Amino acid sequence: MSLAYLIRRLGAVIVVLAIVTLAVFAITAVLPGNAALMVLGENATPDALAAMERQLGLDQPLAVQYLDWIGGVLRGDFGTSLRLQLPVAQVVGEAFWHSAALAVIALVTVTVVAIPLGTLAALRRGTAWDLGIGLFSYVGTALPEFVTATLLLVVFAAPDGPILPAGGFVAPGEDFGGFLLHAVLPSATLGMILLAHISRQVRSEMSEVLSSDYVRAARLKGVKERRVILRHALPNALIPAVTVISLDIGYLLGGIIVVEEIFAWPGLGRLLIYALQNRDLPVIQAVVLLLAVVYALSNLAADLVIAWLDPRVRYA
Amino acid sequence: MSFLTLTRRHVLMGLAASTALPSVGFGQSAAPKSGGTLRVSHSTRIATLNVLSLSGPAEYPCIDMLYSGLTRIGTDNLPHPDLAESWEANDDATEFTFHLREGVTFHDGTPFSAEDVVATYQAILNPDIPAAARSVLTMIDTIEAVDATTVKFTLNAPFADLPVSTAHANARILSKAALAAPLSELDTKANGTGPFKLETYDTARMVRLVKNENYYQPGKPYLDAVEMLLYPDLTAETANFLSGSTDVMLTVQQADFQRIADAQGVQALRVPSGRYACVVMRQDAEPWNDVRVRKALALATDRELLVEVILEGLGRPAQDSLVPPELQFATEKPVVPYDPEAARALLAEAGYPDGLKATLVASDRPAIRAQTAIALKQTAAAAGFDLTIETMPHDTYLANVWMKGAFYVGYWGMQPTIDATYNLLLTSDASYQDTEWKNAEFDALIAEGRSTVDEGKRAEIYAKAQEMELADVPYIVPFFEDVLTASSAGTHDWEVAPISRFFHVEDVWLDRA
Amino acid sequence: MRRLLSSPTGIAGCLLLLLVFVAALFGPWIAPYDPQEFHVTARLQGPGPEFLLGTDQYGRDLLSRLLNGAPATVLFGLGATALGVGAGSVIGVIAGVAGGRVDSVIMRVLDGLLAMPELLFTLLIVSFLGGGTGQAMLAVAVTFTPGMARIARGATLSVRTREYVLAAIARGESRAWIVGREVLPNALGPIIVEATIRVSFAIMIGATLGFLGLGAQPPSTEWGLMVSEARQYMFRNPWCVIVPGLAIAITAMGFNLFGDALRDAFDPRRTR
Repeated sequence: MSLAYLIRRLGAVIVVLAIVTLAVFAITAVLPGNAALMVLGENATPDALAAMERQLGLDQPLAVQYLDWIGGVLRGDFGTSLRLQLPVAQVVGEAFWHSAALAVIALVTVTVVAIPLGTLAALRRGTAWDLGIGLFSYVGTALPEFVTATLLLVVFAAPDGPILPAGGFVAPGEDFGGFLLHAVLPSATLGMILLAHISRQVRSEMSEVLSSDYVRAARLKGVKERRVILRHALPNALIPAVTVISLDIGYLLGGIIVVEEIFAWPGLGRLLIYALQNRDLPVIQAVVLLLAVVYALSNLAADLVIAWLDPRVRYA
Repeated sequence: MSFLTLTRRHVLMGLAASTALPSVGFGQSAAPKSGGTLRVSHSTRIATLNVLSLSGPAEYPCIDMLYSGLTRIGTDNLPHPDLAESWEANDDATEFTFHLREGVTFHDGTPFSAEDVVATYQAILNPDIPAAARSVLTMIDTIEAVDATTVKFTLNAPFADLPVSTAHANARILSKAALAAPLSELDTKANGTGPFKLETYDTARMVRLVKNENYYQPGKPYLDAVEMLLYPDLTAETANFLSGSTDVMLTVQQADFQRIADAQGVQALRVPSGRYACVVMRQDAEPWNDVRVRKALALATDRELLVEVILEGLGRPAQDSLVPPELQFATEKPVVPYDPEAARALLAEAGYPDGLKATLVASDRPAIRAQTAIALKQTAAAAGFDLTIETMPHDTYLANVWMKGAFYVGYWGMQPTIDATYNLLLTSDASYQDTEWKNAEFDALIAEGRSTVDEGKRAEIYAKAQEMELADVPYIVPFFEDVLTASSAGTHDWEVAPISRFFHVEDVWLDRA
Repeated sequence: MRRLLSSPTGIAGCLLLLLVFVAALFGPWIAPYDPQEFHVTARLQGPGPEFLLGTDQYGRDLLSRLLNGAPATVLFGLGATALGVGAGSVIGVIAGVAGGRVDSVIMRVLDGLLAMPELLFTLLIVSFLGGGTGQAMLAVAVTFTPGMARIARGATLSVRTREYVLAAIARGESRAWIVGREVLPNALGPIIVEATIRVSFAIMIGATLGFLGLGAQPPSTEWGLMVSEARQYMFRNPWCVIVPGLAIAITAMGFNLFGDALRDAFDPRRTR
C-alpha cells in the first residue's frame, strides 16, 4: 500500500470518470428531445421551443457544448441546471448532504446491529437463533428496496393512525427529532439488504475462525471466552465483513435512488431521476460523477481498513 | 351495466360534497380577518418563476400572486380588470385601448406605467424569447403607450377576445428594468405588481411570499405570508394536511378525494372544469381518415365507466367536443351512448368486418393518460377494436410521438374561450395541429367568430362550429376532469378557477381557532 | 444433484423454484380470469372466494395478473442473465486465454465499468435506451457483463495451468480446440453458480425498473409494475402491493437459495 500505488489507483479513477462523462454526454445529446421541450411543456410551440433552445445554448454544436462544460468543470464551475436555472454545484451539493446523512444513518445502524447478530448466530450454531437469523438474511436479500419500502409504508404509515411519517424531509437544523423520525423508514429500507448481507458474512467468517487452531489454542490456554471472541476471533472475522461493507456501498448508492424516490427524500437519487426526466444534462453529469467518485473512494478506504486490520496485507 | 347504479351513487355523493360547501363557507358573511401565514402544499416542483415560459402546476399560483396582468380570468371564466381598469375596442375589433390603474408600484418601489406594458408585450412577441403567451397574441401588430396610463393595441386581424388573451397566465406585466436585465434572472427573482412579494426561493423545499403592502386593492391581501411547500410524496402531503400542518392542498388526487372530503373540518372543493384527456387520431392516413372508424371508436368508448374507474366519479362524461359546458357560447351536446354493437356495424361498413387492430400510445405522466388508454382498450374490445397499449416515459413521448404519432392519448388543460380551445388544436393553423383534420369551412367560422363583436351572432357562429366538430369527430374526448383542491376549516375563500391558473389568493383569509 | 438436495437450503430453493416455474409455465392457462378484464363492481377488494387474492384499482383479478406476469418475470431474469453471462464469459475467456496485452486492456476497461454502482449503471443505460422491457433486459445484461467477465477470466486462468490443459498444448491441439474442449467445460462451474445467483438480481433489478417506470409499461402484468401502479391505492387495499411484492421476493429467494446450494455442491470445501 505504497503512495505510488495510491496515486496510480486515483489516476485510473480519473481516467474512468472522464470516459464516463463523455459517454453520458454523447448519449444524452443524440437522444431526441431536450431540456427546452421539458421546460416549456404544454407551451412548446415551435417558435418558443427554438427560442428556448437558443437561450439554453442547446443550439450549439455538441463538441462546443461538451468542451464548454468540461472547461467549466476543470475551473471548478459545474455550470447551471437547465431546468432549475440554479448553479449545479448548489443544487447537487445540497442534495449530496441529504443523501450522505441517510446513507450514514443506514450504514452505522446496520453495522452496529449486523456484527453482533452474525456473531451470535455463529456462537449458537444450529439453534433457533441461528436459523431465524439465517432465514431473515435470505428473505432480506430477496426483497427489492421498493417492495420493502412499500410494505413498511403499509404497516407503519397507514393514514389512519400512522406511527411514522410516510415521507418527506425535515432539515436537521430546524428540528432534529423530526429529521430522525423522517429518516427511520428510508434508512430501515436501505438497511434491510445490507443487514442480511453483513450478518451472513460475519456469521460464516466467525464460524470458520472459531474452529481455527489459534482460537482453539487460546481456549486451551484458559483465556476467558469473552476475550477469545472479542480479541482473537472477531477482528479476524471482520476483515471479510469490511470487504462486504465496501461492496455494499456501491449497492447502497444504487438503492438510495429508489428509496429517495419513494420516501420523497430530497437527495442525489431523487435529483438524478428528476434530471433524467427533464434531460438536465449538467445535473445528470454532476450526480453521476459524484456517485462514481464516492464509490471509488469507498473502495479505496475499504482497502486501507483491511490493510490495517490484517497485518499480513500491511507488511506485504 | 351493473356499475351504472354505482356511478350514480358516486355522482350524487360528489354533488352533495360540493353543494354542501357554500353553507360551510359562512366566512363569506363574516368579516375577513387580516394576518397569518397560509401554508399551501403541492406535489410538483417549482422549478422556475420565469413568468414568460413556465408551465408547472405549482408555478402558476406563484406567478398569480407575484404578478398582475392587464386583465385576469375570474372563477366565472370571464376577463376582469387587473392592471387595466377598463378597455374598449373599435367596431371591427382591430384596435383596443386599455386604461391603466394609477399609482401602482412594482415590489421594488418603481412606479408602474404604460412603458412597462409595451416592453412586456414586445418581449412576448419577440421570436428570440421563449414566451408561452405568444401563440395567443400573434394578431398584435403594434402596441404603443399613448400616455402614462393608456396603451393602444393595433391588430393585424380582428380579434374580439383580446381581453381574454391579455389575461393569459404567462402574459403578466414585467418591469421595463427586469426586461432589460438578463432574462435568466426571472427564473429565481420576481419584481411584479401582484399582492405578494417573493421572500425565499428554495426550489427543493419551499417558496415563501410575503404581503405586498402597496397592492392596488386597499386592505388586501389579508394574509401576511404564503408558503408553497413541496411534498413530493402524496401520502405525506395528505397526512400533513389532515393533521393541520398545512392549510391548503393545491391538488387532491382522485384516489384520496373521498377520504379527505370525509375528514372533519375540511373543505374539499370540486370544481367542474374543462380539463380533458383525448384520443388523437391522425386523419391523413388509414384507418382514421374514415369518419365511420372514428365514430365507431366513439361508440365503443364507455364514458360512464371511464369517469367511474379513472376519475373515481369526479368528473363528467364528455361527448367528443373539446368545448366544456362552462365556456361562453358552449352548446348542449347530445350524449354519445356506449353501443358496441352499433360500433361494430360501423366498423364493418367502413371495411373492417373483422375488427381493427391499432397501437394506442400513452405517456406515463400524468398517470391518467395510460389509465385512459387501458380503460379504452377494455371497453373498445367489445366492438372489435383490438388495441395494443404502448406506454412510454414522458420525455420519449414528447420527442417521438407527440404531434407525430397516428394514435395516442393527449391531455390538455381548460382554455378560457371557444376560440382559444379550437385554435389550440383544431383549426388548420392551430398551435398543436396534431390530427391533420383540416377543414376550410371550420377555419372560416372560427375566423368569423374572432372578428364578430355582436354576441348573438357569435353564439350562432360558434354553434355551427361545434356542430361540425360533433359531426366529424376529429378527437375522442371521453370526459372532463374536475379540478380538486382542499382547504382546512380555518381557511376562508380559497378558490380555484376552472382554468386552474388563477387563484385570487389576495381574497383568502385565515381564522385559526 | 443428490448433494444439492441434501442441504435444507437446496431443498427450499428447489421447492420455491418449482413453484415459480409451474406458475411461469402454466400460469396463463390456470388463471381464473382474463388478467386485463375490469370488474368495476369489485374494485380494490381483499382476498375472497370470488377473487382469491383480491382485485386492483380497475377491479382486475390479482391472482390472474400474477400468474399471467410470471413467465415474463422469469424470462426477464433468465434472459438478462443469459445475455450478460454469455457476453461476459466470451470476453473473460478471451482475456484469460490470450493473456498479455489483450488481457490487460480488457481488464482496464472492465475495471472502469465496475467503477459505477450497479443500479446507477443500469438506470443510466435504460434511460438512454428509452424504457421498455427489452431495453431493461439489455441494460441489466450490459451491467452484468463486466462482473461476469472477471469471474470467467479468473476461472479460465485457474484451469489454464492444470495438467490436462498443458497436456493438450503438448499434444499440439489447436487453440480453439483447447478452449472449447478443455478450458470452457472446466471453467463452467463457477460461472454457472454465479449466473444462478445473478438471476435473482436480474429479477429484482427488472422489477425495480418496472417500478420506476423505466422497464415494463402498463398494462403489462410485470410484477414490479403492478406494485408501482397500485401504490396510490395501497392504503385502500394493501393486497395490491403485497401480492406482487411477495411474488418477486419468493422468486428471487428461490434463485438465491438454489444458487447457494449449487455452489456448495460444486465446491464442498465451502460448505459450512
